[in-house]
Amino acid sequence: MDTPMSHSEFEELAAGYVLGALEPDDEHDFQRHLGGCATCEANVRELEAVAGELAYAAPPVDPPDTLWAGIRREIQPEAAPRGATQRPAGPARGGRRGPRLLPGLAAAAAILMVAVLSVWNLSLRDENAAIRDRVAALERATQLANDPNASLVTMDEVPGPEGAQATVIASSRQDRGVLLIESLPPLARDRVYELWGVPQGDIAQAQKALVFVPLRRQGVQALEFEVPIQPGTVFAITDEPGPDGSEKPTSQPLLVGAPPSA
Amino acid sequence: MRGTSYQGLRDGQLVELVAQRDAGALEALYGRYGRAAYSLARRILTEETLAQDVVQEVFLSLWRDARRFDADRGTVATYLLSMTHHRAVDVVRREEKLRRWRTSDEGLELEADPDPKARVEEQVEATERRAEVRAALKDLPEAQREALLLAYFGGYTQREVATLVGVPLGTVKTRMAAGMRKMKAALSDAGREEQQPWTRQ
Repeated sequence: MDTPMSHSEFEELAAGYVLGALEPDDEHDFQRHLGGCATCEANVRELEAVAGELAYAAPPVDPPDTLWAGIRREIQPEAAPRGATQRPAGPARGGRRGPRLLPGLAAAAAILMVAVLSVWNLSLRDENAAIRDRVAALERATQLANDPNASLVTMDEVPGPEGAQATVIASSRQDRGVLLIESLPPLARDRVYELWGVPQGDIAQAQKALVFVPLRRQGVQALEFEVPIQPGTVFAITDEPGPDGSEKPTSQPLLVGAPPSA
Repeated sequence: MRGTSYQGLRDGQLVELVAQRDAGALEALYGRYGRAAYSLARRILTEETLAQDVVQEVFLSLWRDARRFDADRGTVATYLLSMTHHRAVDVVRREEKLRRWRTSDEGLELEADPDPKARVEEQVEATERRAEVRAALKDLPEAQREALLLAYFGGYTQREVATLVGVPLGTVKTRMAAGMRKMKAALSDAGREEQQPWTRQ
């Protein structure tokens, strides 16, 4: 999966990366490289500013008044009373967290997501080899979703990245599963996400399932993994040192989910 | 634009207020960047409703989690416009019918001054910035400009650009890298900083 690439080849990918134009495999390789290359990271930051400037090449169009009205309608219930906020002198303070999905709704959303992915899968089937791994993972997700022994595990923030979504479809019979993720924030340099299978929720017994970095602008990512899965196995995602992750969790879980029977 | 008390604040200070649930601060940021974000979304998506949805989500995302903005990674403008771009491209990739092959259109847009009204209504800096970016794009070799615009405004991947243009993937990678390097050099003299306070009248 990892194609050996020279540093100059990685440098060349930086432009496509900030434009959101890399193929999934290239993006995966580049993000892994970014984790350990200060030169490329600095280059990406500079090019991100250039990409931001490109927005100004768009023909200017006045937004309709209804646009701000819609935003105001959404934020009004949460807005602080006028004059209640403090003019900034120090670091920003945190806001309230957004509402969480009810477990049932989250499960339904995950099932719907798998259905959507199945359709997407078909549309991707004839495309190039670079996305075959993803297609295979989506097919596996679809198969597992139809397996009566499979569990659908929605992972919750503890408290984790705002807006991040992760769902595991796991089969204890096959000791394998598929992780579906969306909107996981980018990691710091030299860091990767790691998925763990945690028997009975005992973190000391956590078993490595998958090391990954979230791809940007790819929507839902589907990643296959293999790990012993028993009744009561809990899944957790932590932030670990890259590029290969850890043998045992070294940080608090960001997302955790237990199957309904656990 | 209400809330004249926000006029004296820099972008980063407004984000801090947004984190405290200050609706006026978000409105001030919308006043500064809502038009640029909406213009970008319209250019990528063409459909007004989809563009509105994208921009609304961008500002609501800032409202929900202003802490995600990291001043060490770039300016508020870059953050908001990058988020707008990411989301619009995600939409356009889902909605294949929105995607069009329009290289010739891109060239024409760069030749024209499509919004004389903006000179009156917009803050001078934004107008100057637009002119600088367009000039820098015009100065690029055509093949490099084409690659950048297809990726940025068309939402095409490098492999898709290669297919559309009829050149090897490696050539597209090289063109994009060279084009972005030249854009960076052309724009670096402008000494971009976080935008100074201003509001639309």
